[in-house]
Amino acid sequence: MMGGPVLFGVRHLSPAVAFQLRRALDKAQPALVLVEGPSDLNDQMPWLCHPETRFPAAILAYTRKPPVRTILYPFAIYSPEVQAILWAREHGVECRFMDLPSSVFLALEPERLPPPGEEGKDGEEGESTGDNDRTTESVYRRLELFTGEDHDTFWERTFEQLEDTEGYRDACNTFGRQLRQAAADRPRRVAETIVREAYMKRVITQAASSGVPAERIFCVCGAFHVAGLEENQPLTDEEEAALPRMDSCVTLMPYSYYRLSSRSGYGAGNKAPAYFELLWEALHQGGLERAPYLYLTRLAAAHRAAGNLVSSAEVIEAVRLAGTLAAMRGSRYPTLSDLRDASVATMGHGNFSELALAAADTEIGKKIGSLPQGVSRTSVQEDFYQQLRELRLVKFRTVEVQRLDLDLREKLNVQSQKAALADLRRSFFLHRLRVLDIPFATLLPSQQEGANWGEYWELRWTPEAEIQIVESSLLGDTIEGAAAFALKEKAEQSTSIAQAASLFQDAFLCGMPAAAAHALSVLQRLSVDAAALADVAETAQRLSLVARYGDLRRFDAAPVTPLIRQLYLRACLTLTDACICDAKAALAVTSAMEQLNALQLDHDFLEEERWLSLLADISDRDDLNTRCSGFAMAVLLERGAADEELLAREVARRLSPGVPAELGAGWFEGLAGKNRYALIARLSLWRHLSDYLDSLDDEAFRRALVFLRRAFADFSPSEKNDIAESLGELWDVNPTQTAEILMNDTTAVEQEMLSSLEEFDFDDI
Amino acid sequence: MSDKNVQRLPAEELYRRELEALIAAEQDPVPTGWKMSPRSVLAYLTGGVSVKGVEITPKYMGNRRLVEIAIATLVTDRALLLIGEPGTAKSWLSEHLSAAVNGDSTKVVQGTAGTTEEHIRYSWNYAMLIARGPCPEAMVKSPVYRAMESGSIARVEEISRCASEVQDALISLLSEKRLSVPELGLEVPAAKGFSVIATANTRDKGVNDMSAALKRRFNIVVLPTPSDMATEMEIVRTRVEQLSAGLDLNARQPDGNTVEKVVTIFRELRAGATLDGKQKLKSTSGVLSTAEAISLLANSMALAGSFGDGGVTAGDLAAALQGAVVKDEDKDRISWKEYLENVMKKRGSEWLPLYRACRELNE
Repeated sequence: MMGGPVLFGVRHLSPAVAFQLRRALDKAQPALVLVEGPSDLNDQMPWLCHPETRFPAAILAYTRKPPVRTILYPFAIYSPEVQAILWAREHGVECRFMDLPSSVFLALEPERLPPPGEEGKDGEEGESTGDNDRTTESVYRRLELFTGEDHDTFWERTFEQLEDTEGYRDACNTFGRQLRQAAADRPRRVAETIVREAYMKRVITQAASSGVPAERIFCVCGAFHVAGLEENQPLTDEEEAALPRMDSCVTLMPYSYYRLSSRSGYGAGNKAPAYFELLWEALHQGGLERAPYLYLTRLAAAHRAAGNLVSSAEVIEAVRLAGTLAAMRGSRYPTLSDLRDASVATMGHGNFSELALAAADTEIGKKIGSLPQGVSRTSVQEDFYQQLRELRLVKFRTVEVQRLDLDLREKLNVQSQKAALADLRRSFFLHRLRVLDIPFATLLPSQQEGANWGEYWELRWTPEAEIQIVESSLLGDTIEGAAAFALKEKAEQSTSIAQAASLFQDAFLCGMPAAAAHALSVLQRLSVDAAALADVAETAQRLSLVARYGDLRRFDAAPVTPLIRQLYLRACLTLTDACICDAKAALAVTSAMEQLNALQLDHDFLEEERWLSLLADISDRDDLNTRCSGFAMAVLLERGAADEELLAREVARRLSPGVPAELGAGWFEGLAGKNRYALIARLSLWRHLSDYLDSLDDEAFRRALVFLRRAFADFSPSEKNDIAESLGELWDVNPTQTAEILMNDTTAVEQEMLSSLEEFDFDDI
Repeated sequence: MSDKNVQRLPAEELYRRELEALIAAEQDPVPTGWKMSPRSVLAYLTGGVSVKGVEITPKYMGNRRLVEIAIATLVTDRALLLIGEPGTAKSWLSEHLSAAVNGDSTKVVQGTAGTTEEHIRYSWNYAMLIARGPCPEAMVKSPVYRAMESGSIARVEEISRCASEVQDALISLLSEKRLSVPELGLEVPAAKGFSVIATANTRDKGVNDMSAALKRRFNIVVLPTPSDMATEMEIVRTRVEQLSAGLDLNARQPDGNTVEKVVTIFRELRAGATLDGKQKLKSTSGVLSTAEAISLLANSMALAGSFGDGGVTAGDLAAALQGAVVKDEDKDRISWKEYLENVMKKRGSEWLPLYRACRELNE
């Protein structure tokens, strides 16, 4: 193709290629630059060139209808495509994308397995094709076997260090051509490649026929495609019309080096973006020989910053060692693997793990791109940034994790109503993000006891958040609208009252009364059907929280009251039956009892009489799980609804000799499940226990010991101590006297007694 | 030197043919004081090529990259420290490195608790010292001293077993690259090509911890235990062959199956889990290094050669295994018995003879 368009084969995300490409462009002085990339994204080009744009950035194409499919085109400053586009802009030359439109890619996407949306630019390599052993990927594996280095290193050593533009272009194109010959991908992939190349060819041909001299067209495409573009025929009009398409949207978004490094596969990312940028810098500062110095000094600095000792002498040695390693492998400059190995031997004491943190910092980096305000964002994004500014949360938009403590109470010493409730509005906003699964803010458990005006968050910005925000635009036009839709949808799908209640709580936390009302109606509907006691109690408690603290969040809790009443009644009616259960289930029942008790205490509108008589009944009956009965007794005691006499009677009855030890102990366990201090102080109780123990014969005593041990297992040591003291008092053992006796030297008889006691497991008491 | 009655020849004697072939075929530039280029050293160590009709056998069968780093370190006249578990071929690599670089691997200081500073620097022939006073003739030069003079490599074995003052003596040598003899008013500068290869054992960590100052003088390469079964088997097989040839054991080489069994047992007990990772095992207190597997097989060959028909039987192997695995009597015996019952017994008929033989020893 003499005199035809210039075809410049590139490797995506390669600094040396980008550098050589610019030189080639300078030399060719084309009239039109065509870049491999979806041709419906031409509108995004000006934004990529915008002076406020900071790379890395990505173009995200996504389908309008769920399930959302996305394709991502990440760009770093050292992307050859970006440099081609920037060059064209600087020189006033027209520039266009020439690959299949993203709408076609999205339509093809389901066939491109796996994983969808992760393939990046053109997925020319990096796809796991598995069964076929002649894929491009397998060619790389063979190459790796041959060179003994991984493919990235091979590329870096062989191509990234070429310094002559012409030589570079030839080498790159030859590599692409030979790769094409060596590889035989799956038919589907081959077909896609052919269609893409035919489409690109069509764009080139169209450009040529529109009057641009063919030799002044400069095409930037993957090296792999150069041969295809030379040989294949352009797509015809009918063929072009027959391509599948999907309704899609496109937005630019900031990207991060971290994200770029976590994407494997050619074009979609590279493992060491910060290092590649460093190469790019080095190329502009006089050449690649600077790169080792830059890398190693940065690594040393990062290692020092992490609190380690690195001397300059070690850095010097690392530079020398890296140079020697490169020479042994026959390359001019050290590659990343040489630099890394050298630094491990000199600074890392032979262990990479010592340097891992610093290496991550130097090779991957924390860079996040940014875009000019208002660049082609979805309305949800707009809303998000608007609110971020309004709520003064912009400073939290960093990769570093930052704490944000909110005080939801109205501040009285500020002027405007808006400012007084600033933290509350922040809380609403963050909760809405949480509902939308936007990974920007994480709610930390509350550290407050007995109050809940404090809320503690951890905020950290990730590109994932941006993507999630973009995807939220499918649910609504604003964050609030999207959150409302999400809540509504989830509420419709919920099948248990616990689910519905948690959605209600979410709506409440988001400050969205309409969504809350909807969740409440769903909750009501579900609560009519039978539900487990634990669920009912849990739900009632959640609602109670809203009813009590609703005004903190400016929430009208009135609609909640009838439902709480309803749930309370239901719980009361089913409690007795629930108490007929085994030991395992008893735990759930007692915790439900605890919740209901708190519920009744918190709300005057719930009848106390009903609760107390119910408890008295449970405490009295001996056909129920004794643990539940014991707990009922404990609640009654706490509330002052049972007197000493009743307790004495119950203890005597529950712990009478005829009763199996496990039942007695279970009851005691229940009794001890609450309000321990009052219990410990109640001397009469211990007298009864002591009497009970006295009444047991040896066999029964051993048995009781096992269960009583369990009953006392979760008492704290000081509580156990107090009990021991109480018992000591009962047995007329005076603590001072005891101490005195203990201080004296032990007699031989006592020694004997003590040693015989050693076999006794004190833990049992 | 090439006396066949020597128990163990130094590497440069043993592989004289390979070294000579490599030197003769040299094409790349040779650093000052070296006998061959770094690439040839690499070829000598990793093998697998043939030069001028001489097959170069692999000496180190692990990560090739580590060998590259080691050689590159010596090129930059830095000192090299090889660290690893016992039996990870540290001394082996150090010996062959110096054999290839200098054709002389015998300038060795063996680090022990009894090593003194004189072993690193110089000492005196006291009779002559008294007779003639301090003079060059009365001086006994240490291997390090001689290496400095001749611009070659000195080896310090088990550096972490030396007392810290001995280690400190190395610091000034390595940073100043000169050695002063105040008695004679002498300053001996290190000739080009001088370097030190030290080895240290991770199991000795804490015995005499190396100071940061000393560590800083070294490039450190950590030698791992063989990463996979195949590599380790290959190492064991080759080394057993070489060893038994030298020792005249009168026994046949153990077959692949036997080697595999030993390596499997060693790897499993070392890792504390079966190879498939499905069963957790108690590991033993012994190191169970690759080197130990090699000597174990040689040991069982000696048993077979001296008292049997020359073929390694299950009984020979069991006796050798017993000795290797059960070191700290009670605990190891229990782990070993558990291993026999829980793992080996269930491995089917092929393992049965070995299992029976092992069990007999533990009745």
